[in-house]
Formats: sequence, C-alpha cells, structure tokens
Amino acid sequence: MQLTGRREFQPLTTFGPVYILAVVAALAVVGVALFIWVDRQLQSGLGVTGMNQPTYWGAYIVNFVFFVGLSAGGIIVSSLVHALKMERYRAVARIAEVVAIACILMAGIFISLDVGRPDRLWHLMVYGRWQSPLIWDVIIINAYLVMALALGYFSTRADIIKCMRAMPSRAWLYRLLALGYVDDSPEAIRRDQAILRVLAWVSIPAAVFLHSITAWIMGLTKATPGWHTALLAPVFVGSALASGLALVTFVSFASQRLFRAQVNDETVAALGRLILIAIPLLGYFLFSELLTVVYAQEVSPHAFFTELIEGDYAIFFWFDLLVGLVTPMLMLGYIFFWPRRAEAPAPVTRPVVGRAITVTLAAAALAFAVLSFSVERSPEQASVSVQDFSLSGTTLAIVLSALAAVFFVSLAPRLSAAGGVALASALVVAGVLAERINIVLAPQFTRFSPHPDELFALPYTVAGYHPTSEELSIIVGVYALGILGFLLFAKVFPLTDLPEEPLAAARDRPPLWEEPGPPDRD
Amino acid sequence: MPKWGMVIDLDRCTACQACTVACMVENNVPFVGKEAAEEGRLIQWQRVLVRTDGEYPRTTTRFIPRPCMHCEDPPCVQVCPVDATFKRSDGIVDVDYDRCIGCRYCMVACPYGVRTFNWFKPEFNDAHRNYLNPDVRVRPRGVVEKCTFCVQRIDMAVQEGQRIGEPDGVVTACTQTCPAHAIHFGDLDDPESEVSRLSQDKRAFRFMEEMGTRPQVYYLAEG
Repeated sequence: MQLTGRREFQPLTTFGPVYILAVVAALAVVGVALFIWVDRQLQSGLGVTGMNQPTYWGAYIVNFVFFVGLSAGGIIVSSLVHALKMERYRAVARIAEVVAIACILMAGIFISLDVGRPDRLWHLMVYGRWQSPLIWDVIIINAYLVMALALGYFSTRADIIKCMRAMPSRAWLYRLLALGYVDDSPEAIRRDQAILRVLAWVSIPAAVFLHSITAWIMGLTKATPGWHTALLAPVFVGSALASGLALVTFVSFASQRLFRAQVNDETVAALGRLILIAIPLLGYFLFSELLTVVYAQEVSPHAFFTELIEGDYAIFFWFDLLVGLVTPMLMLGYIFFWPRRAEAPAPVTRPVVGRAITVTLAAAALAFAVLSFSVERSPEQASVSVQDFSLSGTTLAIVLSALAAVFFVSLAPRLSAAGGVALASALVVAGVLAERINIVLAPQFTRFSPHPDELFALPYTVAGYHPTSEELSIIVGVYALGILGFLLFAKVFPLTDLPEEPLAAARDRPPLWEEPGPPDRD
Repeated sequence: MPKWGMVIDLDRCTACQACTVACMVENNVPFVGKEAAEEGRLIQWQRVLVRTDGEYPRTTTRFIPRPCMHCEDPPCVQVCPVDATFKRSDGIVDVDYDRCIGCRYCMVACPYGVRTFNWFKPEFNDAHRNYLNPDVRVRPRGVVEKCTFCVQRIDMAVQEGQRIGEPDGVVTACTQTCPAHAIHFGDLDDPESEVSRLSQDKRAFRFMEEMGTRPQVYYLAEG
C-alpha cells in the first residue's frame, strides 16, 4: 500500500531547507566538539578542564546529573499513558520516550567524559565493588536504558510496521528497527500492549531509583556538608520530575510547531498542569533543606548556604528561585486559574514583547529608586548617579533575576495557553540546570572553609572553579548530539501514534509473508 | 599485626616544609608548576597547611603538616568503585595505580582532602629525573595519588627483617627529615612504641574526630 500521500507520513519524507540547515549545524557543532575532545582532552588529560582542588567534580558531572534527571522525569509521561492509562497524554508518549532515551545516553557520555582514564572504564564491569554507590549507579543506568529501549520498542512496533508498509524504499530500515518481528496481527499487538503495560509500571520505580541512586552517590559521603543530607534524594527526584516533565512539554510544543507533529494545544496545556504540581513539590524539599540549615546555624552546612545565597554562586541560586521556580508558577497559575477573556490571545509579536520590556524597565526604575535609599552619599549630594552604586554580587543577582522574572511574567497574559506553558517549561529546565550547578559545585567549593569556632578544620586555600572553553565546547557538542539524534528520529518515526486501523481491515489484510494482494483501493 | 601511625607535635613544627620536600623526593611526586599550584592543582603528599585565626594584633597562626590520615574506617576505600584503593592489614591505605579509573570519588569522599589527582601527565625535568627513586612508581596521567606512609620503605624493611619505627628503625621520609623532630612514626598497637605513648598524651587530638573515620595520625596541640 502506498500511503506516502497520507498526512501522517509527510513529515517523515519531506526535508525542508530549515531542517537540512539544522542538521548540518548540529553536525558541525558535534564535529568541532569531537575534535576538541580528541585533540585537547584525550591528548593532554583532564587538566584542560577547570577542575581542581576542591572542585573535583565540575561541569561534566553537573550535566550528568542534569540529564539523568531529565530522563527519569521524561519517562514518567510515558508511564502515565501506558500504565495509568491517562489517554490525554497519549500524543506525547513517544516524544517522552525518545527524550528519555536520548537524555540517558547523553548522561552516559558525560560521565565517560569525566573519568581520568576512559580506557579503563571496563574496570567498572570486571572489578566493580558492590559497596560503592557509583557501581549501583552503573547498574541502574544500564538497567534503566534497557528498560527504556524495550518500552520504546514495544510502544512503537505497530507504527514501525505501518511505516514499513507505507515507505517500501525504507522497508529494510523498519524491518531492522522492528528486530525482524513484523507480525501485526491483533494477537501480536495485544501481546505488545501487555508487555508494554508491565514495562510502564516498572518504569515508575525505576525512574525514582535512577535519580535517587545518583543522589546517593553524593548524599552518602559525610565529607561534604552540603551534600550529606537525607533530603538530597527527594530534592533530586523532585527536580527530575519538574525538569523532565518540562523538557517533554517544551519538546512536544516545538515538535508541533516545527515538525507538524499531531500534538494538540490541549495536550501541552495538560502537561502544564502536571508541572504546576511538580514545582511546589520541588520547592517544598528545597525549602525544608534551607530552613533546617539556616534556622539551626550549624557551621559547616551554613557555609554552603551562605555561599549559595550571598557568594559566588548567588546568581545561580536567585535565578533558580525567581526565574526557574517562582516565574513558571506564576505563569502557569495565571494560565490555569485567571479568568481569561474570550478573545484569542495574540501571537508573540513586537507589541507583545515591547509591552514586556516596558514593564521590565519600569520595574528596573523602581528597583533603582529603592536601592538608591541604601546608597551612601554626602548631605551636599543632590541626586544619586550610577557611580554611587556599588552593588554587591548578591544584590545584582537578585535584581537581575527579579527583572527577568518580571519580563517573563508580563509576557504570559498575551501568550496562548500552549505557548505560555512552553515558555514556562523552558524556564523550569533552565532553573533546574542552575540548581544542579549549585548542588554539585557549591558544596565542594565551601567544604574547606574553616570557621573560627571550628577548631579542628583543615584550612585549604581554595581556588575558584571556572569551566574552560574546552570543557564548555565539549558540553555544547553533546547537547548538539542530542538535538541531532532527535532531528533524525523525527524523520524515521512518526512523532505521535499513527491512527489505529479498524480491526476488521486488519483481519482482511493478507499477512506479510504472502504475495501482495490486489492493488489498494486508496 | 602492626598498625602504622603518626604523631605530629604542632608545638615543634616550624613550617620549614622539609617534610614536604623529602616526601616529594622519596615518592617521585611531580612538580606541577606555579600556575597549576595557584589554580588548585598542587600535588603534595605531605603538606604543611597554614591557618591564621583572629584579627591583627590578636592572631593565632598554626602550621599543620598533613599527611594522609590512614583512617581505621576510611571513607575513600568505602566508595571506590573498582577496589583501586584499599586498606592493608598493617593499617596503610594504599592505591593501585593500574586499577584506578580516575573517577575521583575517593577524593570527594575524603573529609581531610589529602588525595591529589594527576590532571596531566606528570613531567620531570632532566635534573629531577636524575634523582627519581627507583623503588617507587611514577604515576600515569589520570589517576589518584596520596601519601602511602612510604610503603616501599616499610615493605622493604619487613622483607629484610629490619626494625620499623622510632627510635632507630625504618621510618617515613618526612619523619626522618624533620629537623625539629616534630613527626613521630611507629606502631600504634605496640604499647612500648613512642607513637603509642604520645597518642595518649593529654595534648593529643585528631582532626574531625566527629566524622568517625578514626585517623591513625594524631596531633599534639600547642600547649
């Protein structure tokens, strides 16, 4: 049957100029990153990164943790559809699965980039020690990857067979992807669904364990006060949920706009409701940790939190709080709870952005006016000029984050529900990345800061951590690899489930191993 | 079995850093260079830390020679994924440079920050190459290294039946070199050894006792 004319298959066979450009650009970035990795890091060693004492784990581990979280959260959407039978998310189930698989693969790449002897990674398999949380992580990541691939296989197999029929020139590829198992009789499909349901139920504890074990790698070491907290695993799982859901939402929205994937605005909005629950959950865990340390003023963890709120990492903390948690809450709250006017919301045009900028500038002026009260000046000085401000890093971090928050919140009323949800999702993902930076880097940075009350602490002079250009290029290259993977995936698989054929038609069709029947009547 | 330990008298330490230099010569510890050292990549197995508390003129400065603590309950050994660091039956925590994959988990887990990493391939200039110790391996790039209580000296002494520990046995390079006799080395389990007696002195303390790692390096507080 030639079905290439059908609407569902068109995105798979057309390659527009923008798509080609995107693929070429992604390939170029990946190529440059690969070159830098081989020529600089493999040649000279991990010294080409910015890691040092005491920041032994830097941007690679930050990204490892970030992507493990995105993967764990993303698979939850798929399990909502296949295990909990929440049909309203069905359109995004496949996107969620592919995002989860891509993210866990990228996490694997990041961790391999971080070891000093990548040629000895096989030691983990042969000489692994059960007592080490790192080995637990190796086990759970591999088990989770196999499970996610199996989940993807069983949920996609029926559509692979449909593609195989519709695009005979690519039949070899689809036969390979279906692993040769091309029986699509109703019994086979029912068997698929049964296995899929079991896998989807397994994926929920698997995702929770995946990110909890990653948290326990850090949380079980008593040497670093900022990490050694029982709340680390809940914080990580909460961040995973929020960021994973948000990434799937954003990718779904982008797929709808860029690939004409059959994702409704209602589905994107429904995902937004899930994010609206996930953000306060994460906020609750973070708040509990903050309150416990700040109230009790225990010396060592307190150094870490002071660094977060007022120190070098202040910008990441305030960005995460104001732009990554509060702003999306306000935007999503507005979208779902504010009574909306009946008119259709305007697209993001110049007047809309212009209005947001105006509001932001007004807020900036207000901040300037308020802060000018705290500026020291002599009685003769009539007015305050910009030079009189010596804004600390903290004040600047808070002010900039607050202004960004105002900007995004003032965009919200003019966006469509789906657009607003997508923007809020992007902010959640960015906020969780800032939170990972804080959780992985800042505790290492502050663990050797002796307080005069701590008589028996060791005083190391701590050099700051600054990621080098090589490190950042390699990281961006891995991001580009993930995007490239998704772009290629979008041309091989339909991003949403293909509409089911009625069972009667399936029964009448001759099985694949027989000669083709009479020409189709489409 | 012996339990090798150290007692360092902070009242006697003058911060001359002869211990640091002796250790680097004995154990083929590479020079990383001024720039790398300032960036926090210094490799020194025995290191003298300087701590100044208080505001001028009421300051207190302490010099703390800090080797590996060779803890009885080492958090580094607990977390190593490939068994590259291990506690020997004589109490020394050693590193297998061929097994180490460079994940740096042990460095992250050590509360005392004693472990160092070879971020680049260690380099020795011609002069340095002349006095490399043939009894000790030069580490490759990408592995962790730390103070081993001069395990090569201890193993050689055991093999040749020599005495180990003060006053006249084989000791670590830092113990041997300290001009102020601030460092004492010996068997903590031997009730007649100097270190055993000093470790129970009223001035004796261990760093971060509350961690529960039970280090085998004691310090005598300034008294």
